[in-house]
Amino acid sequence: MSSRGRGKWVAKSAVALAAAIAVIPALWTLLNAFKNRVDLVTPTPLLIFHPTLDNILYVLGRESVTAGLINSILVSGASVLIGMVLGLPAAYAVARYPIKRADDIQFFVLSLRFLPPVAVAIPLMVIWLDLGLYDSRVALIATYTLLTLSSIIWLAVPAFKRVPKEVEEAAKVDGYGPYAIFFLIALPVASRSLIGAVAFSFVLVWNEFLIALMLTTSDAKTLPIVASELTQLGRDVPWGILNASVILLSLPPLLFIGILSGFLNSVIKKKA
Amino acid sequence: MARISCSHVCKSYGPLEVVKDFNLEVEDHEFVVFLGPSGCGKSTILRMVAGLEDISGGTISIDGKVVNDLLPRERGVAMVFQNYALYPHMSVFANIAFGLKRMRVPREDIERRVHEVSAILGLEALLERKPAQLSGGQQQRVAIARAMIKTPAVFLFDEPLSNLDAKLRSHMRVEIARLHKRLKTTTIYVTHDQLEAMTLADRIVVLRAGLIEQVGTPAEIYGFPRSRFVADFVGSPRMNLLDVTVGEAPDNKWALSTGHETFLVERGRFDLHRGMRAVLGIRPANLKSTSPDIRLNGLSGIVDLVEYLGDGVLLTIALPGEPARQVTALVPAEAAPVAGTVVGFGTPPEAIHVFDAETGKSCRSAYLGAAEVGQSMRDAS
Repeated sequence: MSSRGRGKWVAKSAVALAAAIAVIPALWTLLNAFKNRVDLVTPTPLLIFHPTLDNILYVLGRESVTAGLINSILVSGASVLIGMVLGLPAAYAVARYPIKRADDIQFFVLSLRFLPPVAVAIPLMVIWLDLGLYDSRVALIATYTLLTLSSIIWLAVPAFKRVPKEVEEAAKVDGYGPYAIFFLIALPVASRSLIGAVAFSFVLVWNEFLIALMLTTSDAKTLPIVASELTQLGRDVPWGILNASVILLSLPPLLFIGILSGFLNSVIKKKA
Repeated sequence: MARISCSHVCKSYGPLEVVKDFNLEVEDHEFVVFLGPSGCGKSTILRMVAGLEDISGGTISIDGKVVNDLLPRERGVAMVFQNYALYPHMSVFANIAFGLKRMRVPREDIERRVHEVSAILGLEALLERKPAQLSGGQQQRVAIARAMIKTPAVFLFDEPLSNLDAKLRSHMRVEIARLHKRLKTTTIYVTHDQLEAMTLADRIVVLRAGLIEQVGTPAEIYGFPRSRFVADFVGSPRMNLLDVTVGEAPDNKWALSTGHETFLVERGRFDLHRGMRAVLGIRPANLKSTSPDIRLNGLSGIVDLVEYLGDGVLLTIALPGEPARQVTALVPAEAAPVAGTVVGFGTPPEAIHVFDAETGKSCRSAYLGAAEVGQSMRDAS
């Protein structure tokens, strides 16, 4: 084997190993979600077993999980939607209309994300308590909108900048006004990257834990909070249920990651 | 159909003035080409006519109506961009029809007109495709179709062929010329390619650093460049330029001397004075092979480089003296000498251009009429 061939082989094994480290625990969790208690606690790990849906059904059947799921979907969905409706036009304006402080605006938007979540959460907690909105979906949606807005703006500005200016000018000569150009040209042309930006901000708020923990106590709890509580059921850890809840929690972001990878691909290809 | 009139048009970005006091009348049906190197302001003027760029000063009017504050759609213009600027998410059909949709043209009319236009440009088979599935030439034809379909009063082309390869470029040039012959729409065409300008234009506007250097027919621009810049920029291969000092000669002539060669020209043709420093210009095609010991109205030197062009050969000839000087001459391929040969070339005195070394302006006494242009073209060929 030539040294170059060997190098390739080493590189490939290293990649395979790294992939295995990342994937095997996730696969193991998936398997365990379908195992009986007996199969789970056995000292020799089992690959072949009688699958059961009990764990999944138990998790789905719990009222707190259903409530958490509904909260998560509503809160993430609404905050992403509002973030999109407000953020995409804002990003387009920053990208296309040269205003003096565009760079400052962009940096300010991002700087919201530099702050540790706790620093954001504590003042917000006080605000929502004073307004009587603490532990409500409205409060959580408003808070999360700050997050989605900043990440959508930050990711959408370069996406809009990549839309060739001449294409928009052609539409201008074709007789269209700025709003028509935004909706008929800029949005569809940038759509691939924008979908990725939106998916990314969805995953971000779907997985958000700390702020949700501080702003909710019962009514507005999101799925990550509920799932974390399942581990606090005492010494006798319900492994199957825990695994099942992890799987259920991971599914929506995983679906989005499919879209997200398309977005990342397009970014990398454009740069290359 | 429309006239375009620009009067005292300026454009500045902050303190930077890119267009200074631009005045031009474009007649109805006329094909005017803005020619100049990059950064000369030609595209900026075009974009001001299109309404894509604010006008800092002066007025532009189309068909007698001042358009300074009008939106592009209110100006009756259509534009073809350098990089085609097709809508990437739409089919060819939708691209062409997009402008008509805005005008609320009935659906059947849109269909009919798109098919008419695409028939003219040979796009019928491509209507369902997306721009990314087309070649560069096809994309540019779609862009032209998109501009044509609106039956604009004015066509604006912004370097439409510079992204195409050489063969396609000459093909598309012919198509654009044919299209203009057929539609007769007033056209402004921006390019830095002098060959495109010469072949397409009714009139060429040569621009340099935001100012007009010369306006004229291709024959005027080529035959009677008003400045050294125009002489150097227009014509391929480029005009030979030699530094000379003016002296008086008998028979009412000026003697232009390089120190090694002397050229005699009629005094009546040029405004010169004794001792003046000037630049003498001779087109490579106007150098005719003669004996190497030529003394007057010619030059001799050693062939340095022989470039075979097909029908002709371009010779680079090293002239004697310091600093190193060279000229190029275009000769028939069968008469081409080999490198290293000592050669002599003569020029008819009518083919000599003289420019002021200081100002770069032509020293020609009076602006010459079209008759003389034709005469000089015959002389040259």
